[in-house]
Amino acid sequence: MDVSVRARNAALGAVLSGLLSTGAAVAQSNEIRVEPGAPIVVGGYWVLSGGDAALGNDQRRGVELAIKDFGGEILGHPIRFLAEDSQCSAEGGQTAATKLAANPAIVAVLGPSCSSEATAAAPILWKSGLVSIGTSATSPSLTAADRKPDYDGFLRVVFSDADQGPADAKWVFEALKAKNIVTIHDGSPYTQQLTSEMAKTFTGLGGKVASQEAVAPTDVDMRPVLAKIASEKPDAVYVPIFVPATAQILKQAKQTQGLENVPFIGGGGIMTPDIMDAAGDAVVGFYGAFPDVTPEAQGQDYPRLLQAYQDEYGEAPTSGFVANAYDGMTMLKLALEKAAKQEPDGALVIDKAALRDALFAVQFDGMSGPIACDANGQCSNFKPAIYRYENADRASFAIGTNPKKIYP
Amino acid sequence: MPRARRRVNGIDVFMWGLRVIVAAIALIGVVATLFTGRYSLSQWFDFAMFGLTLGSVYALIALGYTMVYGVLRMINFAHGDITMTGAFAGYFMASSMARNGYFESHPGFAMLAVFAVAMLACITIALLTERYAYRPFRHSLGQAPLICAIGVSFVLQQTVRGMFGSGVKSYPTLSWHDVVLEFGGVRVPVVNLFVMGCAIVAMVGLYWIVHRTRMGMAMRAVSEDKNAASLMGVDVDRVIVFAFTLGGAMAGVASVCYALIYQQVHFFMGFAPGIKAFGAAVLGGIGSIPGAMIGGMFLGLIEAMGPALFLDGLGIPAPYQLRDVIGFLVLLMVLIFRPQGLFGEAMAKRRA
Repeated sequence: MDVSVRARNAALGAVLSGLLSTGAAVAQSNEIRVEPGAPIVVGGYWVLSGGDAALGNDQRRGVELAIKDFGGEILGHPIRFLAEDSQCSAEGGQTAATKLAANPAIVAVLGPSCSSEATAAAPILWKSGLVSIGTSATSPSLTAADRKPDYDGFLRVVFSDADQGPADAKWVFEALKAKNIVTIHDGSPYTQQLTSEMAKTFTGLGGKVASQEAVAPTDVDMRPVLAKIASEKPDAVYVPIFVPATAQILKQAKQTQGLENVPFIGGGGIMTPDIMDAAGDAVVGFYGAFPDVTPEAQGQDYPRLLQAYQDEYGEAPTSGFVANAYDGMTMLKLALEKAAKQEPDGALVIDKAALRDALFAVQFDGMSGPIACDANGQCSNFKPAIYRYENADRASFAIGTNPKKIYP
Repeated sequence: MPRARRRVNGIDVFMWGLRVIVAAIALIGVVATLFTGRYSLSQWFDFAMFGLTLGSVYALIALGYTMVYGVLRMINFAHGDITMTGAFAGYFMASSMARNGYFESHPGFAMLAVFAVAMLACITIALLTERYAYRPFRHSLGQAPLICAIGVSFVLQQTVRGMFGSGVKSYPTLSWHDVVLEFGGVRVPVVNLFVMGCAIVAMVGLYWIVHRTRMGMAMRAVSEDKNAASLMGVDVDRVIVFAFTLGGAMAGVASVCYALIYQQVHFFMGFAPGIKAFGAAVLGGIGSIPGAMIGGMFLGLIEAMGPALFLDGLGIPAPYQLRDVIGFLVLLMVLIFRPQGLFGEAMAKRRA
């Protein structure tokens, strides 16, 4: 048996009392006792199936590599790692979190990949006293200063999108020297927030946002909106939307009088080889504003991690977040070493509240760079970068070379 | 029959109020837009050009809906996706010819080949759909054929997705693609003229077939009364197959035209134009060939000019987001005034 019967009974009691009186939800066990020789159980949830599976699998592997580097144990106890599939959706996150929260042996949870998962899952986990360490969920609201107490148990070792818009505005204003711009969003919350943040900072810097336009993600006829934009005579167009609409805008802008040579700046949605197929030659010269995920922007030890990944799985990582997942596991180990109390018989007693405080206090130089949390659980810095597409050959796609990193 | 006088009730008052409000908003918007003078005359002409081009594609697809509706009284909801299969067939033909240089050396012949392949693919899929998905349900009551059509739409989308992936593919560009003609300060891209020409030729051809040939007469007879036509010796199955063939051919032409202007193909591309073309067919009066044509052109024009014309002047931010709202609102308004659509009256009267 993994865990003492006492802890399990306590948890069961907590669930029952929670059912009887909703106010008593906190009356459950705040301690986890790991008997001598029993494993420390770590939960995880990422998208492990479907179209975005590469993203989640990469992060699970990052955690596995970290565990391997620890020799498979923490404080003399073997690590047992349970990963759930949360499918990059709110429903998936909810299911995975409910399952993990029901396991009284789990000390903390790593993941997820997507912000929709984290938004649904983090409160469920925290209600059972479990801290979750986000590894690629980047939505600003998750670590915003005004986040709800439900999210007190969430922290993340990955950047927040909140810094993307302002960073883009600074680059467009200072490096591209554009003074008059137009923004385009596609009605989704992500692109809407991004363009409005960007516009706010750009105006604050002294630039002029001539108009803020919007298209539908499925629109194909962009000529009317481009004709309107051309009438504003912008120096640059900020369009952080997704592949199909971006491709139409790029192609039709080349045929719109007055926009033939105006630079277009996209966002994370177009950092994929699909844009090369969709836009063809019109993609050449297109800028992408996206965090710096090139190896040189990561921590000192990153090349070693890449090598270990290659040796273990026989391929290169498919996403830029392996290092973040590795750091999440390192962080948990360091916090456990600080917060867990060794009993004379070799058993380990972990107080969940103490573990949370220890996680927020941990500081170290990780694979992805320096890790140190602020009071809202933001533990990683944003590293802005600008890329530019050099040619439309799909085979040449590699973030850093094509699209080529041109800043910093 | 003279229209009976009715008492004015609350709903009438509400409907009239709604019409007046929408008309007033549109009028104020138009006046305000024209007053600010943001767009020059040539830009308005450009908008109209883009709108008519997009409208031509809608019209070609709408003709397919109308043909099938005319003989079967059934909405073929898979028609948009049948168009998509034609676009894929045309894409593979065009990209293979672009790779070996044939596209540039023999542009005319290459274009014909792309049209032929796309039309053939659409006709094949349309006939297979008719044979295996619609014919078994033809005599069943209720909405079974309609639901089946929606099912076929999913099957086609997911099959193409499974076979060719979910990414967006870029259509090869032709050397004449970016040629622009200038008439006294007005710029007209050749490709737009080409697409409009295709639509007009297709419509005239269809009209001729339906009104001047024996097969067309049979189609009209089946459309009036299937059983009576069958008693008079018309082979109803053959007529229906013929209608699907014509609809498929129109879908093939539409798919190539669409790909020529927008240069993208992906598995979901048939859905939005399919819905809009269905709207266009209803707008023009479903079952009527000129109606489908006019409805398509009208919807395309409204979509291209509506946001700039009605909303820009009202100071509404990001008006292009609302272009579908405008398009479908106009559809709604037309149907409130004329429930049978713009050209639906003749048929409605004949059948009464």
